[in-house]
Amino acid sequence: MLLNVKNLSIDYQGNPTVSNVNFDLGAGEIMAIVGESGSGKTSVIRAILGCLSGTGQVSAGEINFAGRDVAHLSNKEWLSIRGKDMAMIFQDSGNMLNPVQTIGRQFVEYIQLHSDMSRSEAVKRACELLARMNLPEPERVMDAYAFELSGGMRQRVGIAMALTFSPQLLLADEPTSALDVTTQAQIVEELMQVVQEAGSAMIIVTHNIGVAAHMADKIMVMAGGKVVEYGKTAEVIQDPQADYTRTLLSSVPEIGGHRYVG
Amino acid sequence: MSDKEILLSTDKVSKVFTLKDGQKFTACNEVSICLHKGETLGLVGESGCGKSTFVRTIMGLHPATSGKILFKGEDITNLTGEKRREMARHIQMIFQDPATAFNPKMRIKDIICEPLRNFAKVSDKEAETRAVDLLHQVELAPEIALRYPHELSGGQRQRVGIARALILEPEIIVCDEATSALDVSVQDSIAKLLAKIQREKGVSYIFICHDLALVSLISHRVMVMQKGNIVEELPGDKMQECKHPYTKKLLDSVFTVH
Repeated sequence: MLLNVKNLSIDYQGNPTVSNVNFDLGAGEIMAIVGESGSGKTSVIRAILGCLSGTGQVSAGEINFAGRDVAHLSNKEWLSIRGKDMAMIFQDSGNMLNPVQTIGRQFVEYIQLHSDMSRSEAVKRACELLARMNLPEPERVMDAYAFELSGGMRQRVGIAMALTFSPQLLLADEPTSALDVTTQAQIVEELMQVVQEAGSAMIIVTHNIGVAAHMADKIMVMAGGKVVEYGKTAEVIQDPQADYTRTLLSSVPEIGGHRYVG
Repeated sequence: MSDKEILLSTDKVSKVFTLKDGQKFTACNEVSICLHKGETLGLVGESGCGKSTFVRTIMGLHPATSGKILFKGEDITNLTGEKRREMARHIQMIFQDPATAFNPKMRIKDIICEPLRNFAKVSDKEAETRAVDLLHQVELAPEIALRYPHELSGGQRQRVGIARALILEPEIIVCDEATSALDVSVQDSIAKLLAKIQREKGVSYIFICHDLALVSLISHRVMVMQKGNIVEELPGDKMQECKHPYTKKLLDSVFTVH
């Protein structure tokens, strides 16, 4: 088992926010965590990556990643794992990218930080990764600043960077929520394809259970910091046990679904 | 719908921007629509297709390059000054993210009543009564009147945005991606609220959204826009009968759970 999370609880300034989360994930598997804003889903994946924001901390439980408990590592120990064995894709990669450096410069810096590639090798590798994410003219993207790219292009850059070292575990926090539906559909397909090629496991956090149903092997539904349902995708979608899951399922707008107007 | 009164119509409205290098960019190309009383007209397309530019032109936030905009038969294309201001009584707008549309230093009751104060002298007491009444209509607790925008959740803020759009009792409300920033479950509740308000007050909506599924469920008619042009018009409940390849592409982008 690549990742095994046991009784994970998280608090912010002593206020319990997430309690008793249990799940495991094998290599190549995709899990989706679904829930509304504030349900604690982002806290869970941030805890796995060891970067809870502000005052957040793991108050109890274990996070076993590749045979090692990573719940309480020091910043120094994290340097060798984060970005290499485990990487994150954010909701808006535009916020993650440095606005005053070209994409190429920060991409090359990132590659060289985790490997001993030369500059020209790193440039070549970065271009390959960008091309793999269906970005036309990768050289032009390398010379661009984040604000010169569209939302979909920025997100592709973020995904390309996260995939650089074919991480064993990829964490994606609402990777398509800030995008148009058409771009969302493309990114979802590309993400599934590259993850499969790289053989990575992935946890995707989303509020759209439609996206989760399409991508994931298993689904965990969270509400108010607790897991309300956890199981194989087909079971959760076709035979939801919790009322909350049913509410989420019925809120996904569908063509020919229940109309709001006559 | 065709026997109903036409509230708003546009006749070949175009908006051309001049870029820095002197090139012309046509954001809206000869767009003609008509909106009936009590109807929801959906406008769908990707970012950059010109849907927001089009409604901003209708609202008079920038002048149209060519074409005509008629409100109840009266030409409002080139209104200025006091007459333009008076039009705001009839057409109001709900924005994508009310957090950026509200003054963070104003209490909710003042945010809701600001449009009212722009048109009439209102005592504080009267304003508060109206605010509480509107909060009730958008299903929020009266205590919220005294809070500030940052103390509310995204869904609550959007309800306040709706309350503010309603206070002048407009005939048309333009919703520009009003639910796109919200969780699906909150989106569902806001869509239900908008439909309820329409049944009760007979208000018309122009509903802009990039999610074809949502637009089709909330609209009586849907116009599909691509690169500044309306490429197809369909009844909201007959989206599957679309002919245009772009509409088909939008249809295919919808993730379903069934």
